[in-house]
Amino acid sequence: MPARDNPQLSKRFKIEPRDFLRAGEVSLQVQRTLKNIGFEEELVRRAAICAYEAEMNVVLHGGDGILTLTVHSEEIVLDVTDDGPGIEDIDLALKEGYSTATPEQREMGFGAGMGLPNIKENADSFEVKSGKGSGTHLMIGLKARKNGGELNV
Amino acid sequence: MSELSSVPVNINYVEFDEALCNGCVLCMKVCPTKAIRVKDGKAHLQGVCIDCAECLRVCPRGAIKAITHEDFNLEDTRNYVVSASTVIYSQFGENVLPNDILLGLKRMGFRYVHDQSYTSEMFSFALKVHIKQTRKIADSPFPLISPVCPVVVRLIAYRFPSLLKHVLPLTTPREIVAREAKKRLSAKYGAQAEQIKVLHITPCPSKMISIKEPVNQTHSYLDTTIGINKIYEVLNKNIQEIDEDLVLHHSSGAGLAWGMSGGEIAGSEVNGLAISGLRETILYLEKIEMGLLQDIDYLELRTCPEGCLGGPFTVADKYLAKHHLQKFIQIFGDKTRVKYGYIIKLYKEGWFDADWGPAPSVTRPSHRAINERIERINRVDKILRTLPRRECGICGSPDCRTFAEDVVDGNAPIENCFLMRDNLGK
Repeated sequence: MPARDNPQLSKRFKIEPRDFLRAGEVSLQVQRTLKNIGFEEELVRRAAICAYEAEMNVVLHGGDGILTLTVHSEEIVLDVTDDGPGIEDIDLALKEGYSTATPEQREMGFGAGMGLPNIKENADSFEVKSGKGSGTHLMIGLKARKNGGELNV
Repeated sequence: MSELSSVPVNINYVEFDEALCNGCVLCMKVCPTKAIRVKDGKAHLQGVCIDCAECLRVCPRGAIKAITHEDFNLEDTRNYVVSASTVIYSQFGENVLPNDILLGLKRMGFRYVHDQSYTSEMFSFALKVHIKQTRKIADSPFPLISPVCPVVVRLIAYRFPSLLKHVLPLTTPREIVAREAKKRLSAKYGAQAEQIKVLHITPCPSKMISIKEPVNQTHSYLDTTIGINKIYEVLNKNIQEIDEDLVLHHSSGAGLAWGMSGGEIAGSEVNGLAISGLRETILYLEKIEMGLLQDIDYLELRTCPEGCLGGPFTVADKYLAKHHLQKFIQIFGDKTRVKYGYIIKLYKEGWFDADWGPAPSVTRPSHRAINERIERINRVDKILRTLPRRECGICGSPDCRTFAEDVVDGNAPIENCFLMRDNLGK
């Protein structure tokens, strides 16, 4: 991970495990905050997808989770920790289609095994720290281009 | 957020009657763009209104009125071609059939009466064709969003400009009706056709606004509107006195269902979701913005509850109205009557294509502006942490976060918060 300057903005959000009613709420907050700042739509969308997948991971598998959004001078960072069961084989978990979701969770439309791969695809930097029984720590970075100008949508 | 988009906001859509307003917070709380504040015991606009009419619906004292900019005179029917929203078919009970309503309109003296439900059926089929074609093109934006509700289009342009490319690039049935009527008139009357105008009978005020200030169209073919509630009485009288036997109604239940939530997609057999109500509409726009739901073809979004049947200018209760439409669907069947080959031919000729003007341009904030915004968010958050978070609205701002923003922007003193004032005093 490159060295980062002190964050210009820092927000912490709690993620409740197995709270399917409020699932997605934290990533919506991330999306609203970044949009409100005025970042480019595509960047906001990529950050929101990363936040969403990370949040759903905690909701599906994790214990109590915390998502911290920080905005640095040239980077947006999502730091997601939970004290859930952890990931035994990180390389395997990063493969598309690999999932440890239960049949019930799959019936709800989750657990397609695209969560971590999706983050990898949308982030500019991505690091996973985890081990069996020791929770999971995701560090997701997106380069924030703050150049202004006219844009047609 | 308002700074991001350049949607025209030159005319006012609502007005507040100060004599009737008692300064309660209901309208302010319900406004989706947080454009209402209560100052000195009276509600007023401070921000961009998208004409959703939620405030009119919620005001218990009738202190808020839609400014409709309508200029149609009931004496003047001979100079108008009329096309009514399909909602009108649900308003007179199950014993008054769509054809009776069209005959009633004819009896009122309109130059020409057009049945919009048939055009709606054509549109539903064109929608199916369009989605089939667009799915073949890689990286096309999905889900597509219905262009029918002007409030939805305005909401997208104003709050979700990145989603403008999701708006279905087809002309709405009401505009097609008007366009074709004008073509016929000019063929028949030549230059004199200019004097004949197209009137749309509408369940909501937003249709007039979409004529005056279209967001995604170069211009509107419609000339003016009148609310169903304003024409109801005289139309009802004419329906009772029908004295001729003509067939003016040609659609099946598929076209008649358009007024209710789900009606647009029901006739098109697309893989779509029908969402109604403002809150849900905004929630789903946020989901699409996140890139979710891409395997869904189409979202039929209507900001009124239960779709257009819940429009503020309707007369019949929306659930009764839905019941009437369901009866009609039983009577007329739900299979579309349009000829497939004909629609495909029209689609290929561009008959359904929307004539969109230049997309609203969005100015990206500069690096410095972004840093200033981050600073503003930090200041707002700092104030927010000290607020009681009861979300009461007594300060005159719709919620604690917006109040904190108003304080930071210099639009409200922190002392406006009653609970803070108590805390400060202690």
